[in-house]
Amino acid sequence: MTRRAEAGLIVAAALLASIGVAIVEFTNGDWLDAQVALTFLAFAGSFGGIHLATVRWAPGASSLLVPIAAFLTAVGFIEIYRLDSHLAALQRWSLLVAAAVGALILWLLRNAGVAVLRRYRYVLLAIGIGFLLLPLLPDSWLIHGATVNGSRLWVRVDVPATSRVLSFQPGEVAKVLITIFLASYLAERAEAMALVGRKLGPLKIPEPRHLGPVFVAAGVAFLVLIYQRDLGASLLLFGVFVAMLYVATGRSFYVIAGAFLALVAGFVAYSSFAHVQRRIDAWLDPFAYYQDAGYQTVQGLFAMGSGALTGSGIGLGRPDLIPAAPTDFIFAAIAEEMGLAGSLAVLAGFGLLLAVGFGIALRSRDRFRKYLASGLTIVLGLQAFIILAGVLRVLPITGLTLPFMSYGGSSLVANMVIIALLLRVSHEERL
Amino acid sequence: MNVPLRRAAYAILGAFVILIGSVTYIQAIAGPTLRDDPRNPRVIAWRTGRQRGPITSSDGTVLARSAPSPDDPSVFERDYPEGDLYSHTVGFTSVLFGSRGIEATRSNVLVSNRDSTISGVLNGLLGGDTKPRGVQLTLDHALQEIAAEALGNQKGSIVALDPTTGAILAMVSYPRFNPNSLVRAGAGSAGLELESDPDEPLRDRTVDQTYPPGSVFKVITTASGLDTGLVSPSSEFADPQALQLPGSESTIENYDGEVCGDGVTVTLQFAFVKSCNTVFAQLGIDVGGDQLGVTAQSFGYNQDVPFEFSVLSSAFPPPGTIENNPPATAQNAIGQRDNRATPLLMAMTAGSVAMNGTIMQPYLVDEVFTSDGTVEEAADPSQWRRAMSPASAAVLADLMEQVVISGTGRKAAVPGVRVAGKTGTAQVTGKAPHAWFIGFGPVEAPSDVPQIAIAVVVESGGDFGESATGGSVAAPIAQKVLAAFFG
Repeated sequence: MTRRAEAGLIVAAALLASIGVAIVEFTNGDWLDAQVALTFLAFAGSFGGIHLATVRWAPGASSLLVPIAAFLTAVGFIEIYRLDSHLAALQRWSLLVAAAVGALILWLLRNAGVAVLRRYRYVLLAIGIGFLLLPLLPDSWLIHGATVNGSRLWVRVDVPATSRVLSFQPGEVAKVLITIFLASYLAERAEAMALVGRKLGPLKIPEPRHLGPVFVAAGVAFLVLIYQRDLGASLLLFGVFVAMLYVATGRSFYVIAGAFLALVAGFVAYSSFAHVQRRIDAWLDPFAYYQDAGYQTVQGLFAMGSGALTGSGIGLGRPDLIPAAPTDFIFAAIAEEMGLAGSLAVLAGFGLLLAVGFGIALRSRDRFRKYLASGLTIVLGLQAFIILAGVLRVLPITGLTLPFMSYGGSSLVANMVIIALLLRVSHEERL
Repeated sequence: MNVPLRRAAYAILGAFVILIGSVTYIQAIAGPTLRDDPRNPRVIAWRTGRQRGPITSSDGTVLARSAPSPDDPSVFERDYPEGDLYSHTVGFTSVLFGSRGIEATRSNVLVSNRDSTISGVLNGLLGGDTKPRGVQLTLDHALQEIAAEALGNQKGSIVALDPTTGAILAMVSYPRFNPNSLVRAGAGSAGLELESDPDEPLRDRTVDQTYPPGSVFKVITTASGLDTGLVSPSSEFADPQALQLPGSESTIENYDGEVCGDGVTVTLQFAFVKSCNTVFAQLGIDVGGDQLGVTAQSFGYNQDVPFEFSVLSSAFPPPGTIENNPPATAQNAIGQRDNRATPLLMAMTAGSVAMNGTIMQPYLVDEVFTSDGTVEEAADPSQWRRAMSPASAAVLADLMEQVVISGTGRKAAVPGVRVAGKTGTAQVTGKAPHAWFIGFGPVEAPSDVPQIAIAVVVESGGDFGESATGGSVAAPIAQKVLAAFFG
């Protein structure tokens, strides 16, 4: 696909978002106002900006990534605007900031390439873990953690001398930094880790000294689980660790050991934490816990079921009845108003995005770039899968944002960074 | 080194295939169930806010309609212009208390079939009519009004039907309720009040309540004796002051505690007209408990009556239970003890006499029509069962006419019309008796002349209390309905 077609699809996504906003305004009985134009400008400006940055600093990059990301962002934005136009206005600013950060990364890497990241891998790991632990800062500090819905994943900054508060979810950025570290670490150690130490039946067990990273991964994920009560982030981190170990070594031992550890951790969590237990019970039979733990899941199911094939129409359903509709449950809101047609389009969009990401990884010749592209794609795919599976009751519900679609600035910035890095990796293969 | 990566990619994309399957199941297959779940808050706005088709009586009087809300034209409000008159038949559709009556049983045609389900989308694509359909009932508005007025504020019910087709002409149950109170502001408290009311205004006493039928059941006991050839109207029975029941200390007395005729012998005809318990108790013993049960079943006892609404099964001891128990046989033969009947089945019993022994399947919906008035579905009257032989029916018609001319049912007489009937005064331990009347007219009418069969029951004597009889309380109510029908 050509750069020209990419630009055309970005304009189409911007039109999609602004037409969606217009539909919401019509169903609300309002006339068109500046929101339609502002939405078009925000989408054309942000994704167009990424496009121009690509042309300037990574001209060989894949032209498929940005249009798909723009499409998913547009569909999510329409539903956010329909749920709360105030949130949508904030999301528009987040989108511009995220695109600026993405362009900044393309500029920073314009000469050195992603290889420069290897040099700073321990710095990036330290920042990543530091970000993960940031929400544990005591409430009285200037920069402090905050507990929302029982999970401590937010950081708030009280801007001095004003009553304004900046808040962000450092975990979203941490996942990218930790993935970069893992890609770099594995690029050097993978061969050693793939060496077979001994055999246990058909299972080839690596040398014990190479098992360290697995336990580190499990340990970090479990700490996050305990101290921040964040099931989604710990599952995501752990899943990315295990998947990248497997991709780098080709040893299914890591997958089996990972699954075993996850089951043990899950069992321990189930028997020791009441909130985990409630979630599992509500997952198995949400209607039995309709009044409390199963409420959100059941409301999501009602919304999606009411949407049926063609949906209620944008602005004509009641997605506002779903708790956390603009964030974790954005998919249920889209499914209600756009029907099965809309929800399959969203799933197809993610499928395409992942296919492009894995394609970049498969074509990479350099080990680090290959692991980096795979890791970033796996982060996107696992995060989307974990939250969608929760909404669709394939897995217990864990709080995570749906990449590109949920309301949230930190998430948008982190995912745009992933896109920028994937763009850069695909560019470097063309050099 | 691409092999594990490829496998990981397949695994993650495969996981998305599971999501696709799951969302397809939730939205396409489980969708309608989830959508209609009463806990789904959308049902509130959706079910009540949608346009529903009209429900009318047979003469076109509008009984239920939808109109756009003055506050929000996209939301429809349901309205029942006749208030409580059709509370049990038309019913209601309410957010908090579900649906009842025709609003429940015909909901699928009363709402638009254009929706987002698979069939709805297909129907819309194929250009099918997507507007809600209307339902025309067999009920006659004038007759319904008269019946409700005649029953007044007495607990009980009235069923009037056309015995030649089975079409229900009037169906009244008291206490009633106003369905409008359940669809408007304050529905919550109004509905809870109705649900907790000890008089059970929500219960449809025509089909959802059984009573001991008392002497009304003598029609069936007589049919049993006639069908088996055991008796004729001129058969003679002993006429004691009280019938000593074989194998027990107990006796059966007539209503006033006196002899039926001259105290020596009395004919079956005389006893039927005066409704003497002693004779029919004896007839029941002569016929036998098993045979009585067989006849009761041919009249629809112990059967599910096929009807718009679910009808409580009328109960008679099944064969083998009272055959060797003459006291029980005798008491069941005069409509007491274990004998229980719905007013609907008793109206059908009266109708079978008019119809040479056959019972038509009762129905309430005359036709379903589309928004442009085209009839989409019309009632197709059919015979439900044969209750007795035509000869027995002819004899019973004559006996029942005598009841109205010179017997206990004189207060049901309509000048210029040959009305037949049978009264019943069902004893209830510790309470005033239930007053019954069943009847039909005109006797020996050609099939092209409008006919009517009726059952009236007034619980616990109504306004008359302990002194109530079928003849004094129920027959005058039936008379008002019959007079209006023939007038």
